[in-house]
Amino acid sequence: MPASRFTQTGNYRVRYTQDQTIFATYAEQLSLLLLIAALFALPLILPRAWFPYLTQIVIFSVAVIGLNVTTGYTGLINIGQGAFMGVGAYATALAATRLNLPFYLAIPLGGVAGALIGTLVGLPSLRLKYLYLAIATLAFQIIFEWGVGHAPLLEQGGVIKPPTPQAFGVKDSFLNHNVFWYLVSLPVLISLALLWRNVLRTRHGRAMIAVRDNDRAAAAMGIHPGRAKLTAFLIGSFYAGVAGGLFMYFQKGAVIEDYSLGLSVKLLAMAIVGGLGSLPGSFLGPLFIVGLDRGVELLSQSALLGRVTAFAEGVDVASALRPFSFGMAIVLFLMFEPRGLANWWRLTRLYFKRWPFKF
Amino acid sequence: MKRAAALSALLTLSLAAAQKTATIGWSGAITGPTSDAGASYAAGVEDYCRYAVSQNTLPGIKLNCVVRDDQYNNANTQRNFEDYVGNMNASAFLGYSTGGTLQLKSTIQEVKVPTLPGSYHIGNVDGADSQYIFLPISSYSEQLVSLVEYVAKKDRGAKIALVVNPSPFGRAPVDDVRKAAQRLGVQIVDVQEVGGNNLDNTALLKRFESAGVKYVLNQNTAGPVANILKDAKRLNLLGKMQFMGAHYTGGEDLTRLAGDAANNFIWATSYYMFDEADKPGIQLVKKIGAANNRKPDTIRSVHYTSGMLAASIAIEAIRRSKDPSAAGVYKGITSMTGSRAFNPGFTVGPVTFSAKDHIGAESLRLLQADSTGNFKAITGAQRSAIFPLVHPLK
Repeated sequence: MPASRFTQTGNYRVRYTQDQTIFATYAEQLSLLLLIAALFALPLILPRAWFPYLTQIVIFSVAVIGLNVTTGYTGLINIGQGAFMGVGAYATALAATRLNLPFYLAIPLGGVAGALIGTLVGLPSLRLKYLYLAIATLAFQIIFEWGVGHAPLLEQGGVIKPPTPQAFGVKDSFLNHNVFWYLVSLPVLISLALLWRNVLRTRHGRAMIAVRDNDRAAAAMGIHPGRAKLTAFLIGSFYAGVAGGLFMYFQKGAVIEDYSLGLSVKLLAMAIVGGLGSLPGSFLGPLFIVGLDRGVELLSQSALLGRVTAFAEGVDVASALRPFSFGMAIVLFLMFEPRGLANWWRLTRLYFKRWPFKF
Repeated sequence: MKRAAALSALLTLSLAAAQKTATIGWSGAITGPTSDAGASYAAGVEDYCRYAVSQNTLPGIKLNCVVRDDQYNNANTQRNFEDYVGNMNASAFLGYSTGGTLQLKSTIQEVKVPTLPGSYHIGNVDGADSQYIFLPISSYSEQLVSLVEYVAKKDRGAKIALVVNPSPFGRAPVDDVRKAAQRLGVQIVDVQEVGGNNLDNTALLKRFESAGVKYVLNQNTAGPVANILKDAKRLNLLGKMQFMGAHYTGGEDLTRLAGDAANNFIWATSYYMFDEADKPGIQLVKKIGAANNRKPDTIRSVHYTSGMLAASIAIEAIRRSKDPSAAGVYKGITSMTGSRAFNPGFTVGPVTFSAKDHIGAESLRLLQADSTGNFKAITGAQRSAIFPLVHPLK
């Protein structure tokens, strides 16, 4: 008799098709649905002040899933994800201002623009690997910043402000701006996460993982490594483009300073801390990095640290601790938990799945 | 006795409850890019607020100044602005970067919170959505056009090169300078973008030399300009070319970074210099700086004075309207016109604002660095005659 799909605690899969299901049990499905419902209900529970950070976490999660597609799942080091976000942001801004497209059409267009440019940038991956490919993506980041800075169409990096969006009769305003974009970004994240989870179990998804693990062995098995790499860049930069479009609206305009090398490094840090090649890690990384930043800020305002004056003039504790804690987090994760927070998530789930038994 | 004590406690409590609070929030770069200027600017804002509290400038109003580092990151600027306005009910916002202010323009227009940016970019006050943004001093564009006027008076037909920062802050004045040059009969022969990583400017300077450039106008921060000046000195070009620049290029920061290569640099700004000890505004700067145990470098920095000016305008606006709400600050700021102009003594002319005039201290001077590294005025307080013609504000 097969184990109940609600209560099973072990792996009872006996067919390949079963092995490819997204959820092993109904309990998993149910818990995910409850989590999604809780996320949608957050605006009813949490104060407004939380939403600038929650929206950032959601938007960065979209970009980090994209980065995980190229770097985590396909093994192609990408230091240009910030620039791909920038491509999406500018394309969205142009679509909204020049073509007068509403945000729900402009943002996917930003994704398409990101995907096209990302595929082009991915072309060197047919010849380059490892650090050399990383430098190629870094070069794109530099070219992007220079290109935008010299393009009159893009206001030479100045602000391109989109018209104020509206959804279901609700206009984006100062009072609801963060909640508005949280509620717009959340379904986008959920859909794109599910989409990627599905792509992962297709031929293309498995080809990417095979290429990451050993591209020569993958080629020997009939997989076209070049095609798999370009597909990874296409999907990864599509996600970045969509995230860029969302971020552009969230930031109330496209401006080059928002898509600098710093953002690419931040996204890479999120992917590392979350756990490379892991979907839950793509959510946990942004949650940790954005939360850390906010946590340090709150800590610096505490009675104890608020009085520390050991820094240069005008530099408060938050200013000093932010980059320090950011760097330390990356170093400590690389040293002690290279599988990232996703591994902690896995262990926690396993504990509860087998509770009260330990083995 | 007990009743009297209880009554007095009640009275104290009710007075405290009745006291209104005015929150002024600043967000800028204390760390990160341009923090050399931003840290002093922040200190100026903070110290002037302390001074205003100590002087009881706003009787019956509790002044709460919040200064936060946004690391020159627009996302942080937005979050700080949202926190100040959304959660702290800020009376006024003191901004810093050009990008951050431009990105916030429509929000500022929506929430109607008067904003005084540290960036004197003309685009901040240009356009219909600039009703609540006020530049404390003349714009970069006007400063550079004044420099072009100076060149045209001295050397008609002269060849000028422009070196600008690769950002909206740097590029904004280019069109205005071109138009002014055309009207004044001087030539803009080259426009180059130079950012903070200009460690070797040989090619740039040789290019200018071969084009016969005699005047190099800079719209940048002090760091890149200092590198250009040091390279010009190395190439023996300091005698052949006159280097000049707008507000953020000069001052103590430039002489500290460029050393004697900064000698003769001509600088356009509206602020009085630290060495002008007879000016009441500078005396106040020194007094406040000393009272707050600031380092000499900070007090000497023109950005310390700039921060004080921005804070003083916001506080004066609250004092005039006796209303710490954003509407009260707007009313107070726009009352600074004609005989009611505000003169805190930090700038060479008074600060004037009205519903239509969004540029405060419009007068500026040109100053030149002497062999000791101090900037001495080479013109009196003046306004550019041609600027309103080349850039009529929308």
